[in-house]
Amino acid sequence: MNETARARPVIEVRGLRKEYPLGDEKVVALKRIDLTVRRGEICCIFGTSGSGKSTLLNLLAGMEKPTRGEVRIGGVPVSRLSEEELAAFRQRHLGFVFQSYNLLPGLTATENVAMPLMFRGVPKAQREQAARAMLRRVGLAHRLDHYPGQMSGGQQQRAGIARAFLARPDVVFADEPTGNLDSHTTVEVMEMICAFSRDLHQTIVLVSHDPEMAAYADRIVTLIDGEIVSDEPTDRRTLP
Amino acid sequence: MKWSSFKYLTKQGLHSMVQNRLMTVASVGVLTACLIITGIAALLSVNVNSFVDYLSDQNEFEVYLNDGADQTVVDAFVQSVSGLGNVAEVEYVSKAQAVEEMRSWMGEDGDLLESYAGEGNASNPLPASVRVRVDDLELLAETVESVKGLGADLIYDVQSPTELSSVLVGMKRAVTYAGWGLVAVLGVVSIVVISNTIRLTVFARRKEINIMKFVGATNAFIRLPFFVEGMAVGAIAGVLSTAVVGGGYYALLRALENPNAAWLGEFTRCMWPFKDVIWIMLGGFVLFGVFIGGVGCATSIRKHLKV
Repeated sequence: MNETARARPVIEVRGLRKEYPLGDEKVVALKRIDLTVRRGEICCIFGTSGSGKSTLLNLLAGMEKPTRGEVRIGGVPVSRLSEEELAAFRQRHLGFVFQSYNLLPGLTATENVAMPLMFRGVPKAQREQAARAMLRRVGLAHRLDHYPGQMSGGQQQRAGIARAFLARPDVVFADEPTGNLDSHTTVEVMEMICAFSRDLHQTIVLVSHDPEMAAYADRIVTLIDGEIVSDEPTDRRTLP
Repeated sequence: MKWSSFKYLTKQGLHSMVQNRLMTVASVGVLTACLIITGIAALLSVNVNSFVDYLSDQNEFEVYLNDGADQTVVDAFVQSVSGLGNVAEVEYVSKAQAVEEMRSWMGEDGDLLESYAGEGNASNPLPASVRVRVDDLELLAETVESVKGLGADLIYDVQSPTELSSVLVGMKRAVTYAGWGLVAVLGVVSIVVISNTIRLTVFARRKEINIMKFVGATNAFIRLPFFVEGMAVGAIAGVLSTAVVGGGYYALLRALENPNAAWLGEFTRCMWPFKDVIWIMLGGFVLFGVFIGGVGCATSIRKHLKV
């Protein structure tokens, strides 16, 4: 992939503001956010609890509508899409890794990982074959038919990562992906996310309050009280 | 939606019922209770109606004729009465037939009337009569007046159960309105209760809904398992309530066969036979349950689809 393609913006945020009504008052979660994230970049949105980072993630992913401003992913104005258009957009372009893994308890590891392909209408045999290959890649070859309740936290998170990357989305949002893991597993999980991102040239938006995890990013955008107070590259920066 | 996806989602809905078994049992229990009460009200209504209809069918009035009336005039009168509206059947009972009927009612004592028997017996004190059966009990009084108008000179007396007819008509109306009113009220109560129960189920599983939305599920994809679950809960409640109400009805019919309940004989004969009721009940309850389960789901999940 040439440098121009890698430098192309994938996420563009302009004048984003989010207010929540609270009785007669309104709480401003995000004041005015302008942000651009380029293709292949690992961008960490860093901040303490209440800084607005999870709200920003929800707005980027189209889970909530902004009060003002716009989010574009790959040129598509996600904040203006309908529910059905958003669902189709998420199927094609977005992946998610959650702090609490969020695997469906009634499905096996293979079925959970295969889910994004099911929504795309990929036949069962094909999607499960792809899911099994992905699970092997994240070191879960021995847990293919296990249910989430039969796996450790680290194994569940690896299955969650496999699910997020299976459909090769353009952007993967990771919300405190190691928040529930021990330090050893944290390293494993973060290295796995970074490796996928670099192999497949995918953009990662990492939300965290943990400086050690933020250090895995190419760039750290720090939020305080709903405002970006700093936006700096890290030593790991791999982009031009 | 592809057939494989539909199968998968249906399986998910059924699987979720087992996983959330406590909520499933609660939903089935509430819906079964409502269906049982609804079923009892409906059964009571149809059976009382059937009894009232039976009594209506038995309803007739008798027009006693003057002695010595010319047979040609009587025949013409019978013909005219047959042509009246609301007249289902007309039967001429001669003086001799009247004696025979009375003898048969009296049983062994009927021999006492032997001296009055026989056609043309001048000592027979019983009058000839015309028995008129009506279609609609509500129009009995009007029909009696029309018959009287046709043969004022010929008629000695008219015996008509007008008061009973108005009681029966009132009773039928009351039972119909009250019975179906109760069914309607309980139907609405069932929908509200099941809708709230399913809302709780959906609320308890909002995290699951959120995960699926994040992963790219469309609203239809998320709704279907809940619909399957709601409708399956309705179907199970339908079968259970049929078993309870049907079993109770069967036991009641058996109990009414007991000689001690002979005083209820007429009513028992009018009750719907078990084999006629059970399939209607099963179909009705299951359809009603599935409908309520579906409607309850539709109203509940809409609120929780936005994450």
